[in-house]
Amino acid sequence: MAVQGIWNGTISFSLVAIPVRLVTAVEPGRVSFHLLHTRDYSRLSRKMFCPLEGTMVPPDEIIRGYELGPEHYVLMTDEELESVSPERSRTIEILEFIDLKEVDPIYFDHPYYLVPAKGGEKAYQLLVEVMSRTNKAGIAKFVLAEREYLVAVISREGALELVTLHYSDDILPHEDLSPGNDMSSREAETQMAATIWKMTGDFNPAKYSNERRVRIMDLVMQKAKERAPVEAPASADESEEGPADLVAALEESMRKVKEHR
Amino acid sequence: MNRTFVDIAGKRLALSNLEKDLYPSYGFTKARILEYYRRIAPFMLPHLKDRAVTFTRYPEGVEREPFFEKRCPSHRPAWVQTAEVVHGDTALTFCLINDRETLLWAGNLAALELHVPLARAGSPGTPDAMVFDLDPGEGAGLAEAGRVALILRDLLSGMGLMSFVKTSGKKGLHVLVPLNYQEATFDDTKTFSKAVAEIMQKHYPDLVTAKMAKNYRVARIFINWSQNDASKTMISVYSLRGRETPFVSFPLAWRELEELSEQGHLERLQVTAVEAVRRAEGTGDLFHEVLVKEQKLPHLY
Repeated sequence: MAVQGIWNGTISFSLVAIPVRLVTAVEPGRVSFHLLHTRDYSRLSRKMFCPLEGTMVPPDEIIRGYELGPEHYVLMTDEELESVSPERSRTIEILEFIDLKEVDPIYFDHPYYLVPAKGGEKAYQLLVEVMSRTNKAGIAKFVLAEREYLVAVISREGALELVTLHYSDDILPHEDLSPGNDMSSREAETQMAATIWKMTGDFNPAKYSNERRVRIMDLVMQKAKERAPVEAPASADESEEGPADLVAALEESMRKVKEHR
Repeated sequence: MNRTFVDIAGKRLALSNLEKDLYPSYGFTKARILEYYRRIAPFMLPHLKDRAVTFTRYPEGVEREPFFEKRCPSHRPAWVQTAEVVHGDTALTFCLINDRETLLWAGNLAALELHVPLARAGSPGTPDAMVFDLDPGEGAGLAEAGRVALILRDLLSGMGLMSFVKTSGKKGLHVLVPLNYQEATFDDTKTFSKAVAEIMQKHYPDLVTAKMAKNYRVARIFINWSQNDASKTMISVYSLRGRETPFVSFPLAWRELEELSEQGHLERLQVTAVEAVRRAEGTGDLFHEVLVKEQKLPHLY
């Protein structure tokens, strides 16, 4: 069966560059349905609804807001978000090789296969063999659909697998993932294997930050400082207040504080 | 191990690794840490007295992971006083730091940070102060915390309550309202401090949040009112902090905070161990009133 590629490019490290295609490795077994109108069976579409005005909202009246506090948002336009998005890339550049057994499976997110593209078959096969023999995984950064992913390239059963990884910030409980590892003194037999050894490090997920997230948060903070966030009308679930007497006395005290400032 | 024995007030104390630098990028050895605690003891001990202390120990220095110790170490000298504290179904034996020798013993364990509850061990349900922990979120710092503290002081003053401020020794400030009356409860201090935090948030939404959620804290000061709880501990006044520089959680005069705020120099609020001794010996304990001033929280019932 010819598999549909979702991305074409090269996988590279050091001086090696191998043309590959990225294909999806799992198909969710879920049965999907469409929502139809019972009267005429036409496909239904989703619309955004404003509960305050009770109307449908056209796309040009929709903007993203980052919630800073109850009913307080920093606005973010599509252009601004785009300005901090990573450039599309044509390469999966392996930054270093690590021992596969060092990677806690909790980091694995979504698996893909890398298949050789025309002209890359030989080098691909060599990489698969060397990585399998040395039991190494390559760590790379890779942009797919405007997102920058941290990925592991793994040799498995004669093919290369690409697994997107969670950034260490995304992992909830703190784990120490880099036990000191003694590199065995196994002789490197080929040029490729030698390069792999040279690029081998401990798996230290903390050193890769989700740069897009950092840039977006920087932008949010900068905007939050530059001007006051927009205020949304209070929603129904107003937080409960303290004892009425106390709140009234505090309001009175606050009024005086503000008078004197 | 390098051991030195000292006898103080008839108590024998074994000190070890005195030359070990526990603040390597700044340069502050264990000998200097012990010297700090020895000289700050007259000011600090009244605040530690009879409180179940939690140690944060940095045996390998501040650049390595510390560990927390609630249970008083079993290898403690016989003269270290302890108290049983019940948490849920388990009772733990905590250390009490009631004299200078015990303080030095803790220092020798590299317990740089001493955390204490708001109540004394004999009356764990009676807070003797109410606290507002002003915790700057991402993108905010001491400057914003200082502004919030000053507004808070005025707001509380309008309620007839006197308050006192100290640095946390990290990024924030702690504002304490002395209570020192027997009927005080954590329910009351929690209700009151929460209402205050919410009023502050309502009137200064760009500066303050009363909500724990990380999002809400960006570029703001989180007023952590939930510290008013029997199970919570806070860094003790005059305790060292385990960060790069040996900063201390140190009391400030409101006037100093005001002046620095007016000059825009609030970022300079941090007090090092050396400066802390100099200041305390010059001005006395600026937190003395926190121990003795009796105040009742108004408008609760």
